[in-house]
Amino acid sequence: MDILLALSPVVAVSVGALLLMLAEAFSKQRAGLALGAAVIQATGAVFAGALWLYGIESLNGLDVLEPWLIIDRFSLFFHMVICLGGALAALLAGGYLREHRIERGEFYALILFATIGAMMIASAGDALTLFIGLETMSIGAYALTAFRRGSQRSAEAAVKYFLLGSFAAALLLYGFALVYGATGHTDLQGIAAALRGPAGSHPLSLIGMLLILVGLAFKVSAVPFHAWTPDAYEGAPTPATSYMAVVVKAGAFAMMMRVLLVGFGDPRSMSAFAGWPPVIAGLAVVTMTVANLIAGRQESVKRMLAYSSIAHAGYLLVGLVATIRSGDALSSVLFYLLTYTVSTIGAFGGLILCGSYGRESVSFEDLAGLGKRHPAVALPLAFFAMSLAGIPPTAGFFGKWYLLKSAMEGGFHWLAIIMLVNSVLGAYYYLRVLVFLYMREPAPGAPVAVPMKSGYVATALILAGALVIWLGLCPDGALDLAAKATLAGR
Amino acid sequence: MESLLSRFPADNFSLLGVILAFPLLGAIVNGIWGKRLGKEAVRFMALAAVGVSFIASVVSFLSLKHLADHGGGEHAAHVKLRWSLWSWMHTSQGDSTTIPIDVTFSVDALSGVMMLVITGVGFLIHLYATSYMEKDSAYWRFFAYLNLFIFSMLVLVLGDNLPVLFVGWEGVGLCSYLLIGFWYGDNANATAGKKAFIANRIGDFGLICGMFLLAHYCGALDWDGLSANASKLVNKSAYAGNKDLWDIGVWPLAHSRYEGALSFLQPGMSKLFEILKLAPVTGHPITLTILPATAIGLALLLGCTGKSAQIPLYVWLPDAMAGPTPVSALIHAATMVTAGVYLCCRLWFVFALSPFVMVLIAFIGVTTALLAASIALVQNDIKKVLAYSTISQLGFMFVGVGVGAFVAGFFHVITHAFFKACLFLGAGSVIHAMHAHIHDGDASQDMRNMGGLKKYMPVTYWTFAAATVAIIGLPGTSGFFSKDEILFRAFTNQTNHPFEAAAKALGAWQAPTWTGKMIYGLGVLAALMTAFYMVRLFLMTFHGNFRGWTVDADAASPQESPWQMTLPLILLGGLALVAGFLNPGFHIFEHPPLEHWLDPVFDIKHVFANAKPHVIEAANAASLEKVTALGGIGAFVIGSGLAYWVYAVKGGGPARTLTTMFPRLHRLLLNKWYVDEAYNATAIEAVDALADTSANVIDPWIVDGILAKLSSFLVSAFGTLLRAFQNGVMHMYAALMVVGLAVCGWFFVMPHAQATVDVKPTGVAITASPGPGYTYRWDINGDGKPDQETFSNQPVVNVPLEPGASRNVTLEVTNSFGYTPFIAKKVVAVSRPASTDVKPTEIKMGQK
Repeated sequence: MDILLALSPVVAVSVGALLLMLAEAFSKQRAGLALGAAVIQATGAVFAGALWLYGIESLNGLDVLEPWLIIDRFSLFFHMVICLGGALAALLAGGYLREHRIERGEFYALILFATIGAMMIASAGDALTLFIGLETMSIGAYALTAFRRGSQRSAEAAVKYFLLGSFAAALLLYGFALVYGATGHTDLQGIAAALRGPAGSHPLSLIGMLLILVGLAFKVSAVPFHAWTPDAYEGAPTPATSYMAVVVKAGAFAMMMRVLLVGFGDPRSMSAFAGWPPVIAGLAVVTMTVANLIAGRQESVKRMLAYSSIAHAGYLLVGLVATIRSGDALSSVLFYLLTYTVSTIGAFGGLILCGSYGRESVSFEDLAGLGKRHPAVALPLAFFAMSLAGIPPTAGFFGKWYLLKSAMEGGFHWLAIIMLVNSVLGAYYYLRVLVFLYMREPAPGAPVAVPMKSGYVATALILAGALVIWLGLCPDGALDLAAKATLAGR
Repeated sequence: MESLLSRFPADNFSLLGVILAFPLLGAIVNGIWGKRLGKEAVRFMALAAVGVSFIASVVSFLSLKHLADHGGGEHAAHVKLRWSLWSWMHTSQGDSTTIPIDVTFSVDALSGVMMLVITGVGFLIHLYATSYMEKDSAYWRFFAYLNLFIFSMLVLVLGDNLPVLFVGWEGVGLCSYLLIGFWYGDNANATAGKKAFIANRIGDFGLICGMFLLAHYCGALDWDGLSANASKLVNKSAYAGNKDLWDIGVWPLAHSRYEGALSFLQPGMSKLFEILKLAPVTGHPITLTILPATAIGLALLLGCTGKSAQIPLYVWLPDAMAGPTPVSALIHAATMVTAGVYLCCRLWFVFALSPFVMVLIAFIGVTTALLAASIALVQNDIKKVLAYSTISQLGFMFVGVGVGAFVAGFFHVITHAFFKACLFLGAGSVIHAMHAHIHDGDASQDMRNMGGLKKYMPVTYWTFAAATVAIIGLPGTSGFFSKDEILFRAFTNQTNHPFEAAAKALGAWQAPTWTGKMIYGLGVLAALMTAFYMVRLFLMTFHGNFRGWTVDADAASPQESPWQMTLPLILLGGLALVAGFLNPGFHIFEHPPLEHWLDPVFDIKHVFANAKPHVIEAANAASLEKVTALGGIGAFVIGSGLAYWVYAVKGGGPARTLTTMFPRLHRLLLNKWYVDEAYNATAIEAVDALADTSANVIDPWIVDGILAKLSSFLVSAFGTLLRAFQNGVMHMYAALMVVGLAVCGWFFVMPHAQATVDVKPTGVAITASPGPGYTYRWDINGDGKPDQETFSNQPVVNVPLEPGASRNVTLEVTNSFGYTPFIAKKVVAVSRPASTDVKPTEIKMGQK
């Protein structure tokens, strides 16, 4: 019984997903599906929250699940973030798909199954479950990218994403195979224990760790393993993009943290000058800098947001490096993920709101003067762009502040400085959105954006906006939550 | 009262939420829907918001009083009603203490009085403004800002810690900016708004620094935590384990032991000292330090001078008169500008720890009072005179705070709020009447166009008279008592360090005894000028013949203002007359109510155990009180008599004679001592010069050239590169990944040698950084050859060293790949200090 209780977030979403498919098959009424998908994922989040409050530690018999699935506070935190992001993305889809006449039920089923995959990798304690979860999530994401069947871009993006994703998955799998060869373990805690012994000196384990690292870096889209991201994000329908930017990224980070901090958390692999931390630090620098430099040159807001999500992954990697020295850094990373989730969903939602059927606004030019013509429509996009830039009193400010604080406390001053410079670079293209919304007039004769109307999108934006303000005004509550999200076996 | 307190317990006094929420609600409603609501609704919303807030403030104040009177026990003397909302964020002191920063509001004796003044006077001014702004098209915007101001000011006063206070501090600054530039169509108004904003930013910088330093030294930012930990500021031994936490180096002269990534920013100053032969240098860096209490006091003082318009940052306040007159009354006379005095009173125990800063505050205060009063002597714009008068009176408050008479300083805040609000509103009433007649902003404020208004505007006349006699110190009025108290304390108080022994050990500064007498003398002079310029203003405005006909001969005669404007005048004028009996001197009451009420707040025993009082009163103080009062009364008699003689008896003749006799002096005063010009010539010119440099050199060459061109080149290079990959050619993406994999792989298979050095009693220990499969080989004896041929698992070696000796140790690292080219090498230079007890030479500054 306790096991069922512990798995209730995943079970709730799984059962809900099956029911949703049934409902979709037998009902002609499509309008309720988005709401259904949102409610199902919200239920998952509520179950996770209830377990959190009840105290996961007091449940007995969870060792039957281990090492396949580890339900600790870290998992529950991610279950909540993933379900929250998924629910908001489903609400965005409810408005967007209808407006752009591509509403088909499988979109929501795909979202739900991908969410299950993401939840699985957040709690996977073994390479096998990890891989199954990863593939469940990824296949959903590939299909979501290709959802706009008539569009060539959509198909091209999906194929690219799929092929490169397979390549990365193969590297990851090969890495785990090598590590298994060196240590005899596929479970992360077993790997960690073996690496502390003689197996840690085996060249195979080193090569294995390298391949795993590259596989993980692909999933969080760190430069130079990011090349798929702009294409896939731009080609996918916007709600799918926001889902990938939020849920898939959160799942990938959960996986990365658990694998690196638990599986390769021994002092020799997690040294400040050898093993994975210097590589992650290097990836962080390259990721932030390259993504921000390129994002500033984009003419498409959607593509800019894609690069922005790469840049944010770079910031998160800074926090990940800091975890090796600073005790608070893990909570800073989790807090940042939460602020990033709500801000990004909001930004994509704001962009969705600015366009309508046949006039989907994706470029900066499309937005010109929108703030004067439709102030209520322009406000969300401007607000969430400010949060992504990290301007107080929005959530993004405290997210960045805590990450910088962790990096400084961990003694990674140079990383903190590079991150600071990068957030200034970032401010440039986020504020550019505001410039176009409020200070530019559309060029004569140019097509002007006509905003859509949708209760679903409005609801998602209000929820995300409330969270952004809440996290910006009283961040300590959520940070406290993140600080309690301890990683079992670390 | 008991039932009220059981509903709102002292530690969760949610009634404060009502006080705060209503003005905010008013601001939001008027700000968003005001345009559609219409004037009636906006007026109702604005007045109701402040009115409810005032009633709730009164109830809170009575609860506080009830608790203070009936709480019982020694600790109940300083009661506090607190309302915690949420935990906002946290920071840490060093690595150990967590400093929580919560959104908490509290009201104690000090903030309680302040809260009543803000909401009470605020309500009257709101009422006044409903009529004054009647004709303005942006009526709703005005009241939204005004309500927002009341909210921000309440946050400032009720905040239970410095960051929350700072939110309010910035909020009032923003409202002040918005309201000064309310008629932003006129360029001068917008400029005045900007000036106020920038001057305040400079002050805010000081406040922020003070906040950081307090967090650093005291490990707390809330009032209770600060008063509990303030003694750490003079307790050097509390930092025995970590000397870096104690010394504040004065950058860039200070030494630094910081050796992180940023160390290149700190120039090697010991070398410079060596060259300049300033002090003997024996291989140790020199420190130039300042005591923490002084540094914090100076930083906070900068913040206070910005907000409270004192030298050197007072220049914004006269220009701030560009805003509507109710704004001048509310923000730039009665409430916001006293925030600096409030902060000094709130953190009085921090200031008390630095006699240097205390005396500096008093001197800044008295100098400002003199300077502003001298300028007010010759101004002709009625609001300008009142603005300089405000600066001058704020100077008196600073004197009170600076000589350690916090109650006296705060008393003057209250009385000044009444009489100066009344004066400004009276001036507004006059301008309102003149404006209906003249239709020219500047001309309608020029006193040379007024005169004889007594018979047209009797209510304004009599209330203005009441406020004038209060400010010039007619015995018995509020201004007399509060000003006299300040001068008396200045004469008899001698600032004293509460921790004399510790202060001596630290080499803290002690104030010479003559400072108080000198401040008293200058203060009397300023009071004399006050009497002169106020009587001059009064006579020029209300007596004689109306001179406005010269501007427009056909206009109707000026009219008295409607009741919404005269009622606040009557109430404030009455208060200006009688409020002095809150705290009269001369033993009129055995326990003056205000002093009795505020004493627990300023009782040093509640803050520091075993501390001496922060001021020593002269032994014969009681007998001196009447003597020092003679100075104040003399100033009143001579100043007002002189003004009466000049402007009423002689019709202004002597003034004109003096002007022709001393034309340069007159010009100097009329042009405000050319301080604005001096700032223009120095700071602003320098900034402009810098701006020119940026615009003409840095911008085209570095920003546009190197930064923009280079980065755009880089970006387009990246872009070109990526286009090459992103041409739909899939295997290019894969190739990029493989390149990434190769670079990461290179790092992985190569070993990396890194080591940390610790000084041990007999030598140094070197620890090699760990890595996967790493084995180590050492050359400890420094002969350039490894001590052993084989690599071993020994990451730590001890190197025996004599004191003062140094050596190069070589570390070689290889990993499990075991190829000879895969050997990393690092040479570690280790040395042991000659003697462990050598201290760096120190130079003390500030407090000496």
